[in-house]
Amino acid sequence: MPSKRPRFVGGKILRNTGHGIFYRMEVAVPDRVEFVPGQFAMVSGWPGNDPLLPRPLAIFRAGGARGTGTVEFVYKVVGRGTALLSGLHEGDPLSITLPLGHGFELGAADRAWWLVGGGVGFSTVFPAGAALSEGRGDFEMFLGARTRDQLPPREWIPGGNLPGRVHLCTDDGTAGYFGPVGDAVRERLDGLKASERGRLTILACGPREMLRGISESALARDVPMQVSLENHMACGFGVCWGCVTAVREGEKSAYRRVCKEGPVFDAREIVW
Amino acid sequence: MVTPAAPPDLAVRVGTVSLKNPVLSASGTFGYGLEFAPFYDISRLGAVIVKGLSLLPSPGNAPQRIVETAAGMLNAIGLQNIGVERFVAEVAPRLEEAGAVFVANIYGRTVDEYEAVARRLSDLPALAAIELNASCPNVKEGGILFGSSPHGLSGLTRRVRAATAKPLWVKLSPNVADIGSMARSAEDAGADAVSLINTIVGMAVDHKTRRPRLANVTGGLSGPAIKPVALRMVWEACRAVKIPVIGIGGIQTAEDALEFLLVGAAAVQVGTANFRNPNACVEIIDGIRDFLVREKISRLEEYRGGLLS
Ligand SMILES: Cc1cc2nc3c(=O)[nH]c(=O)nc-3n(C[C@H](O)[C@H](O)[C@H](O)COP(=O)(O)OP(=O)(O)OC[C@H]3O[C@@H](n4cnc5c(N)ncnc54)[C@H](O)[C@@H]3O)c2cc1C
Ligand SMILES: Cc1cc2nc3c(=O)[nH]c(=O)nc-3n(C[C@H](O)[C@H](O)[C@H](O)COP(=O)(O)O)c2cc1C
Ligand code: FES
Repeated sequence: MPSKRPRFVGGKILRNTGHGIFYRMEVAVPDRVEFVPGQFAMVSGWPGNDPLLPRPLAIFRAGGARGTGTVEFVYKVVGRGTALLSGLHEGDPLSITLPLGHGFELGAADRAWWLVGGGVGFSTVFPAGAALSEGRGDFEMFLGARTRDQLPPREWIPGGNLPGRVHLCTDDGTAGYFGPVGDAVRERLDGLKASERGRLTILACGPREMLRGISESALARDVPMQVSLENHMACGFGVCWGCVTAVREGEKSAYRRVCKEGPVFDAREIVW
Repeated sequence: MVTPAAPPDLAVRVGTVSLKNPVLSASGTFGYGLEFAPFYDISRLGAVIVKGLSLLPSPGNAPQRIVETAAGMLNAIGLQNIGVERFVAEVAPRLEEAGAVFVANIYGRTVDEYEAVARRLSDLPALAAIELNASCPNVKEGGILFGSSPHGLSGLTRRVRAATAKPLWVKLSPNVADIGSMARSAEDAGADAVSLINTIVGMAVDHKTRRPRLANVTGGLSGPAIKPVALRMVWEACRAVKIPVIGIGGIQTAEDALEFLLVGAAAVQVGTANFRNPNACVEIIDGIRDFLVREKISRLEEYRGGLLS
């Protein structure tokens, strides 16, 4: 049955190909996967006990029909687990628990959305863009990378061929805005009229420092923002309490599980 | 015509507690049990052991709380939990409704707190047993103060024993010189069973940033990396006491579980394995059954404790 309840499934790789510094992997799974943009999966694709833990990856795309499904991930090789994933081929098995966590809230249709992805963080916000493309409102995309070659391929960007929709930013100025994506967002926020700001919601995923900077800019201008955090995880489904982040609770703060109450949080809640 | 043999009998007893099979979930790796309902029917387990409970809700340690290590992981969760009252009011009825046999793992900052938690849980008719965590390495108050000397352990166990009529299992720390004498002092103080091992104190640092990887600096090692140590300690404890010993540490497969049963464990707990494979516990139960069928053993009890010299 298609279901939003988490499942543990055995998948088979259909495609696992490199695109610049990123890999895109499509996996056949036993049933159709339904997910909310921002939700993720715990993935392991190697035999034996080392590395031991599965790796969290955002669900980039999913589909299929009853009885046969597919799910796609986009990842960057940063360490042992992702290196092992990058070496897998068509037909190789994969263990996946999905869909997990609390995704983005794409509420009212009349809102404007800014989607911000730093580094491989775009893999978490693109599904939100894809959902918004289906008619739930207008959005713009801000993508940050160290250098031009580390930006995602144009054809992956939802709405990537619409003029004025996509703002590329590079730390070294080799493409688009010369500087951190957070600076580009702040400058554009300052150029908005109050009425425009009033309709806006920002969704973002990327390095914690980037999220913290943008959330300061957004909240200071009363723009609501949802952030997707990337903490280290052991289980991914709320049973180990390993992945917590501090959130405000009245006067105090409390530790909430990024894998369960998150990974997407209202930026106002986060104690950076 | 060949009549199919009856399925093997996996039932075990831990003191007065009868379990339909020897596979239990280890505390702190299984949430409050209900989180596993999407994956399988939790009443299939020998028992569910829930996250360590304290008298009041506890916030736990600052992140970073976990780090992966070679074939294992370190954790310094610091026993974040909802507290015994919310467990009694909100969780226990749902575990009962799910048909699960469940055990509460408890800890306190003081002996009085341990007693109070045990007393409160004694009101729950459906609770199968209390597991006393005298061995959490990550909070000073998590029992390690009491659990690292035979004298401290015996004092704590005696007091909690007097506070509850529930079967009392004492969970032992591996961070001691002589596990046999710890098991004996729990037995002498009235424990109905001992369970071991809890995590082994370890540490990880980042040679580039020059910082510890855990905010707590040290943490508890779990997973396959600790299995040989755990197996040795379980074997020693089995020889030291007459009460049942529950084996824990690095169990990932049915073969691992059978090894602990072979050296004399009455039952086993599965911890870290649940993270990579949420179905680990039920796959282990099925694997034990398949093994007994293949070996034509009709009752697990015939196999258990049968280590050859
Ligand atoms: C909800 C969520 C969604 C994510 N989505 C994506 C995605 O779509 N694409 C992508 O490329 N990456 C994503 N990440 C980050 C990805 O999980 C890490 O890059 C990956 O775990 C690194 O594993 P490794 O073995 O290659 O690195 P190592 O550094 O060898 O890993 C060692 C340990 O640290 C953990 N770890 C290291 N870096 C991170 C990190 N940034 N976040 C979380 N855990 C980390 C690993 O899981 C592992 O337990 C996501 C993280 C989270 C929490
Ligand atoms: C994340 C985590 C949290 C744990 N929390 C508890 C706990 O609350 N109480 C307790 O007695 N043991 C706790 N433990 C210890 C386990 O129950 C078990 O004894 C140990 O992990 C060894 O088994 P394993 O290798 O199968 O995980 C915890 C272990 C882990 C990994
Ligand atoms: S990763 Fe285990 S609770 Fe979040």
